Amino acid sequence: MTTAQTQPPLTGSPQPPPLHPQPAGLKGAAWKWGMGLLMCYVIYGAFFIAKNAIGFVGDSARIIFFHVPCAVLSSIAYFVAAAYAGLYLFSSHPTKRFHLDLDAKAAAAMELGFVFCILATVTGSVFAGMQWGTFWNWDPREISIVGMLLLYAAYLVLRSAGGEQPDKRARLTTVYILITLIPTVFLIWVVPRIQALQSLHPTSVLANPKNTSAAYKEVLYPSFLAFILLFTWLFQLRFRLYKLANKVASR
Amino acid sequence: MGRAADTAGAGTVGAPANDVPAAGPAWPQAAAALFAKDLRAEMRTKVAVSAIGVFTLSALLLIGLATATLKGAQIPIPQSDLTRPAWDPAGKMALLWVLLCFAAFTGLAHAFVHEEEAGTSLALRLSMPAGAVYAGKLAFNLALIFAVALVATPLYMLITGMPSGPPPVFLLVMLGGCAGLAAAATIVAALAAKARGTGALYSALGLPILFVFLALLLNAAKTLYASPQPVLDVVKAVGGLFSYGLLLITVSALTFGFIWEE
Repeated sequence: MTTAQTQPPLTGSPQPPPLHPQPAGLKGAAWKWGMGLLMCYVIYGAFFIAKNAIGFVGDSARIIFFHVPCAVLSSIAYFVAAAYAGLYLFSSHPTKRFHLDLDAKAAAAMELGFVFCILATVTGSVFAGMQWGTFWNWDPREISIVGMLLLYAAYLVLRSAGGEQPDKRARLTTVYILITLIPTVFLIWVVPRIQALQSLHPTSVLANPKNTSAAYKEVLYPSFLAFILLFTWLFQLRFRLYKLANKVASR
Repeated sequence: MGRAADTAGAGTVGAPANDVPAAGPAWPQAAAALFAKDLRAEMRTKVAVSAIGVFTLSALLLIGLATATLKGAQIPIPQSDLTRPAWDPAGKMALLWVLLCFAAFTGLAHAFVHEEEAGTSLALRLSMPAGAVYAGKLAFNLALIFAVALVATPLYMLITGMPSGPPPVFLLVMLGGCAGLAAAATIVAALAAKARGTGALYSALGLPILFVFLALLLNAAKTLYASPQPVLDVVKAVGGLFSYGLLLITVSALTFGFIWEE
């Protein structure tokens, strides 16, 4: 308890920024408008530019423009969260200030990761239902995505049970992110290579650029960019909300 | 205890807590002492052992009963007119580990929860470094899960007719499984004990970590019961299992201090 007495207040910098930051204005919001237009193009392209793919049932292949970016982002979000969690823990020496902002960023990344993980799971399951006739068949990729979904959900449970003290909750939840990074790495890179589990997932089809037609690339690459921008925007919004909540809690 | 801590710490305000036991016992001795203390306390009350024991036994019998009445895939037992469920042995192994995972998550929280409940965690925090606490608790949980596996596995084999496969590989798979299970259970117990709502939270935080672990165990079990058994496959499967446990222990040891110190 002695450390708590010697520390400066947990939140609030020497010159507190205004509670409501200035709106970015048209110039600052340009990339958000760009993202919106890009997303419109991706939706249009998914239905009208891309043709039905060979070897895929009906229109099922069109789902890659939404499913693959969601799946990739749900993995990236974990590493973003882990980076902020590591920064939070290893910069929170007793003599330094606690950086609750870092914890808020980790939490924002985890929440968004959870959302994108749900989207990837649902879209993947819809694809599996169309293509393989079953919505769930314990394909390695399905094991990976549902395993990550569990880890994300467990994090949110811990966050809600972490207690009233923001610094204690932050310590517990960031430690959990770093520990669950091990299962995450195994889920992303080890499970899909387990021989005992045979995969039907068309990763190998997509991994080879020769298998993807120019029309698909014209839509898929902008789709990645649009989803990354969407993630960035949502991340900023969620982080700002956390910051405001911390500020309100400290008053 | 709190007053004693305050007066003791008055001279070294702001010093990291793991500098406190400088005059105390060395790190491995401290861990061994904690392990012996936990073992003695457990022998006295037998809370964890009896809870896990009864849970495992009833779960074993539940599985036996549920699978005995399975319709459909039954194969005849030689020299009798009885049948038994026709699972492949790897499936039986996976089910055994599901059982052990749940058993571990009924009792292994005890290691940290009883320190918080008895109010002894502060004394422990003052008397030895965080690393020693982690090592002692990990050793205790490892011993407990070994003991449970040692009793439950032969019983399970008896009930379900699971074969052992080549004994050395079987032992390695069981050891790797126990190590990974104890690693996951120990660090999650530390987290859950510090957060609110310990009971349900413990399983909610721990079982997602064991999801991928079960996939690795399934892989190891497939290798264990494969009839041509290349050495490379065994090394891969068992190595994957052990590396998961060792990585969990490494990250836990690095981050345990942040949970333990207030």
